[in-house]
Amino acid sequence: MEQEQRFLGVLGSSPFRIAVVYSVVFALGVVALLGAVYFAVSQVVDSSTDNLIEAEVQGLREQELVLSRSDFIELIEQRSQDQDVRGAVYLVVDPQLRPVAGNVPAWPKSAANEGKWIQFKVSVPFGDETRVHEMRAENFPVYAGYRMLVGHDVQERQDVKSLMMRGLIAAVVLTMLLGLGGGFWMGRRILAQAGAISAVATQIMRGDLSQRLPVRDAEDELNSLAREINSMLDKIEQLTLGMRTVLDSAAHDLRTPLNRLQATAEAAMTQLAPASNERRVLERVTSEVDHMRSTLDALLRIALAETGTVAREAVDLSELVASMVELYAPVTEERGIRLESSVIAGAEVQGSRQLLAQALANLLDNAIKFTPKGGHIRVLLRLHGACPEVVVEDDGPGIPAEKREIVLGRRVRLDEARKFPGSGLGLSLVAAVTKLHGARLVLDDARPGLRVALKF
Amino acid sequence: MHILIVEDDQIARDVLAKALTEVGHTVDVAVNGLEGLQLASSAAVDLAIVDRMLPKLDGLALVQSLRATGRKTPVLILSALGEVDDRITGLRAGGDDYLTKPYHMSELLARIDALARRGDNGSAEANTKLKLADLELDRMSRRVMRNGKKIELTAREFQLLEFMMRHSGQVVTRTMLLEGVWDYHFDPQTNVIDVHISRLRQAIDKDFDKPLLHTVRGAGYSLREDE
Repeated sequence: MEQEQRFLGVLGSSPFRIAVVYSVVFALGVVALLGAVYFAVSQVVDSSTDNLIEAEVQGLREQELVLSRSDFIELIEQRSQDQDVRGAVYLVVDPQLRPVAGNVPAWPKSAANEGKWIQFKVSVPFGDETRVHEMRAENFPVYAGYRMLVGHDVQERQDVKSLMMRGLIAAVVLTMLLGLGGGFWMGRRILAQAGAISAVATQIMRGDLSQRLPVRDAEDELNSLAREINSMLDKIEQLTLGMRTVLDSAAHDLRTPLNRLQATAEAAMTQLAPASNERRVLERVTSEVDHMRSTLDALLRIALAETGTVAREAVDLSELVASMVELYAPVTEERGIRLESSVIAGAEVQGSRQLLAQALANLLDNAIKFTPKGGHIRVLLRLHGACPEVVVEDDGPGIPAEKREIVLGRRVRLDEARKFPGSGLGLSLVAAVTKLHGARLVLDDARPGLRVALKF
Repeated sequence: MHILIVEDDQIARDVLAKALTEVGHTVDVAVNGLEGLQLASSAAVDLAIVDRMLPKLDGLALVQSLRATGRKTPVLILSALGEVDDRITGLRAGGDDYLTKPYHMSELLARIDALARRGDNGSAEANTKLKLADLELDRMSRRVMRNGKKIELTAREFQLLEFMMRHSGQVVTRTMLLEGVWDYHFDPQTNVIDVHISRLRQAIDKDFDKPLLHTVRGAGYSLREDE
């Protein structure tokens, strides 16, 4: 099966197609060239025999004038027996077309009404056997009512011609076969290299930036292309790793002082009486630290998703969506919102389970935030063609069409949303995670409400 | 319990050491990875809290070296990095738990408690029956009984209760529940865990005099028999 697919793949490759076109062109060239040679050679051979026959006929006509009929027949008889003149044929017939002299057993049927030149077949002895040979002859009347044939065995000529014709066909077939075979071989070679390139590209897309294209020990276009792509990949890896390092140090430099702040405030709180003013201040401090932490976490996750360096694994999307629905079901029920879901089984994507879960949680958090009591939230996992699609729909206020693009930008909160809590990074994170997974994020009107679709 | 803190940030280290001492632990401190590895290799240490980025020897390398010598001392990794992947690498290196800075002291204490008891509860892990007061949970038949009365739970409520029972007497935080029961590592903006807990509470405590599932203010929940 795989073998067959590889074979069909080669047939579809561009080198093979080019080879097909070229072998057809070359085959036509071969036909033209050998055809011309064939034509010229037949021309020469044909006319030389015809000249020979013409000359003989000329001679015999002169003899006819000076010889009596019986002498003429004698002469023909002699010439017919002459072994030196190999391949020459003679035949004299009476008005009833009965042979009178010559070395052809019977008047050829085809010669009856045809013109001057005729062609016919005669059995001739050849060693122990007899063979049917092609003869070419001129037929003309002699004496009163008699007719005669003077011709020559043209079998050899025919043999040469058919040999040439066979050679021509063989040359054409060979050209085609060589062309197709060469094309197949080149197609396979290029396909193998293209396959290697796309395999590496896939792995790089999955976040493994250490992969490089295989470079062979040759100086051809594909190799230099591979080399250039590799140096491009070096650059990308450097940049991405650099970004990762910057991210890590930024994370470190922000988390460390936040941690000190949190630790110090918490330590101080334990020394204070529960309802004291100082304690309340410190509680404000720790709650601000919490807020900063969640903003920082979101920003870092967005940045991380955007570097594309997150390790990927096979994620059971069906399990993930079902378990997120299950996780959020009680809270929606408590708030008087109906959570409906329809999840197909067996959907799988390559990616980060945690980031996908976070993205879905953000969508559900948002939906819950904006859906009034008595409203609906619908979560769907369905197949769009062969690709899974996750949809989260609410019947809250929705987002006006002209603002849908804007909300995907970082830290955008629409005025209408200011009365709701949140960092404003939720959808940005969803967008980054969607992009990381090579998916498309589509915001739509759910009439009423917002429909968010992640199309993988 | 004898706890080793390997942390280069002085303020964080001092506050942590003080907090742990206050709840009754003996504390050793190390300011860099090499020192940390030396101390961690001593038999006296019951648990180690290791910062991810340390001078001289990186936190991950420390844990790896410790594991290479065959030591199974529970290790909690503290990290100030970007997370998501780092958590996986941290656990792969041999860490038993992973906490990102800034953390709440209550979260850290709850996790330390859970790690320390994991050793004792090794038998409970294999036990098919968990029991607390008159509450019984059978993992094989997936049945829960309280005071001889059968309690109907959903599959998730069962898992939640099983987790709480394996950590009975300890404080279990919301993140620990989300990680332990759902295997998710994020902070939901909605109080999803609280609602799950309140449902579980409805199921196991509602018809009985003595509540077993308690809310620990500012920290999480605890399943215990109240004195």
